[in-house]
Amino acid sequence: MKILIVDDEPPARERLRSLLAEIGDCEIIGEASNGEEALELCSQLKPDVVLLDVRMPGISGLEVARHIDSLADPPAVIFTTAYDQYAVEAFETEAVGYLLKPVRKEKLAHALRHAARIPPSRLTRIAESAGFEQRRERICARLGDQLRLIPVEDIYYFLADQKYITVRHKGGEDLIDESLKSLAEEFSNDFIRIHRNALVAEKQISAVERTEDGQYVVRVRDCGAVLQVSRRHAAELLRRIRGES
Amino acid sequence: MRMPEQRSPTPASFLPDFCAAPAVLVVVLIVELVALTMTIARQSLQQNFWVDLAATSLFLLWIGLGCAAVLCRSRAWLASMPPGRAAAIAIAMLVAVVGIVSELVYQAGRLGRFDLSAAMNVFPTDHAGFLLRNMAVGFIVSALALRYFYVTAEWKRSVEMEALARIHALQARIRPHFLFNSMNTIASLTRTDPARAEQAIEDLADLFRASLHDAHTQISLKEEIEIARTHERIEQLRLGNRLRVEWEIDGLPLRAQVPCLIVQPLLENAVYHGIEMLPTGGTIHIRGELVQDRIEIEVRNPVLAQQGYREREGNRMALENIRQRLELAWPGRAWVETAQSDGEFRAKLIFPFTESRPSVIGL
Repeated sequence: MKILIVDDEPPARERLRSLLAEIGDCEIIGEASNGEEALELCSQLKPDVVLLDVRMPGISGLEVARHIDSLADPPAVIFTTAYDQYAVEAFETEAVGYLLKPVRKEKLAHALRHAARIPPSRLTRIAESAGFEQRRERICARLGDQLRLIPVEDIYYFLADQKYITVRHKGGEDLIDESLKSLAEEFSNDFIRIHRNALVAEKQISAVERTEDGQYVVRVRDCGAVLQVSRRHAAELLRRIRGES
Repeated sequence: MRMPEQRSPTPASFLPDFCAAPAVLVVVLIVELVALTMTIARQSLQQNFWVDLAATSLFLLWIGLGCAAVLCRSRAWLASMPPGRAAAIAIAMLVAVVGIVSELVYQAGRLGRFDLSAAMNVFPTDHAGFLLRNMAVGFIVSALALRYFYVTAEWKRSVEMEALARIHALQARIRPHFLFNSMNTIASLTRTDPARAEQAIEDLADLFRASLHDAHTQISLKEEIEIARTHERIEQLRLGNRLRVEWEIDGLPLRAQVPCLIVQPLLENAVYHGIEMLPTGGTIHIRGELVQDRIEIEVRNPVLAQQGYREREGNRMALENIRQRLELAWPGRAWVETAQSDGEFRAKLIFPFTESRPSVIGL
């Protein structure tokens, strides 16, 4: 069993390492001290199980778990936490593997035997009841074996075609495998649905224009793209734009 | 280990301190109100309202101040008995004072042949009636006044109790997050570095001992800073070089007396809400100085830019707790200032410099 340890505190990682050595029958293939490192190592090393600290600087454990799920063959996740009443209650309710620090050897062995992949729907519910920020700060795109994290701040728009969603952002274009509907709900504060297949960052809209045939279009500030507005979404768009100014 | 010093509680008496100005002022006020009441009631018999009022006031003030003097002297004695008996005895003494002063005034008026003209008009011809009526009025008024003092004292006591209860509740809240993380660190160190694990346990024990002091406990600033440093040592083990603390406290008078746990919670907050949330960590600056007769201690820490740091519940509660401790020690003369700007949070304590009594706290 290949294991990745993720914790921002060196003594905590050290303890897990020595416990795992005693349990045997597993191999520690890497250690990460923050969320980004964890995602990188996940896609590189393909662990079977990730021991994941919940409270970390930068990307929290819960958000890491969500991104992990976009991997081709996502590893099982076991959360570790020293104290977080609400998160622990949520783990219980969603029947997700977790360990309380200081971790006991028997419990660690037991958790490893029962480790399972956590579907995103459960993670959303956990974040909800644990009072964590549900909105992600980054979107995760997969490039072959690599995971690419795109800060939501940098995103200009999402455009859906039959199978995938194209994310246009400061760093270029990526494909993600999510539904536009759930993205629209998650980021409803900062993004506006302008078409059945398009979601635009509100702050990126430089102008709304009317074409000769009576259609509305949106100009995107930083990339200069022009996107079509459907009749159904035009009213809502104009209302929000006016509300802004 | 010796027990922490506690302010000796004053005996639970409902009587205020009649040797002190505020209570005497209340007595004078009561006396004047009674004098006014009596004068108004007598208006139909008297020609000159103001002369009558002045004479009555003069007479009653002697009684009032006499009563205050008696209560001042007997306060400790009265405080040692149950409130009901204390009240009965106090009323008896006050009525006696009324009787004695009335008798003296009567005798002075009769023998001294002072020209008390207008005032003497109120004097009845019969000696006994005069005394009895005065003592009856004295009985009623002192019973009412004592009832007033009793109710006021009860109200004050319940307000204080409530504040204390709240402080105790807050105090019991050593952050569980800190406790369990420290335990985890120690569990890890027992394998790799037993000597440091031992020190960490000793430090943790000291911190817990300090957190068990009650809200009134005062310690020297030196001890308070030692507590904060103990906290820093434990966090350092856990966070390694992500946590840096710079102390700039040469200007602080270390013998100053402070309520327990006013600096340490600021450091704990700075770590929990600031440093821990930053991937590369940061530096906490603790600066203290004596400005005239005030001590100022400021804790600055970097925070994640997009975080609503000040609004976070835990932080607010810890600051509120410190505020209450300072208020309890120096009512109205100590405060906490907080500010956030440019990814930095500052909390500043400002309180009067009070010299330490010989310390009896064991740390």
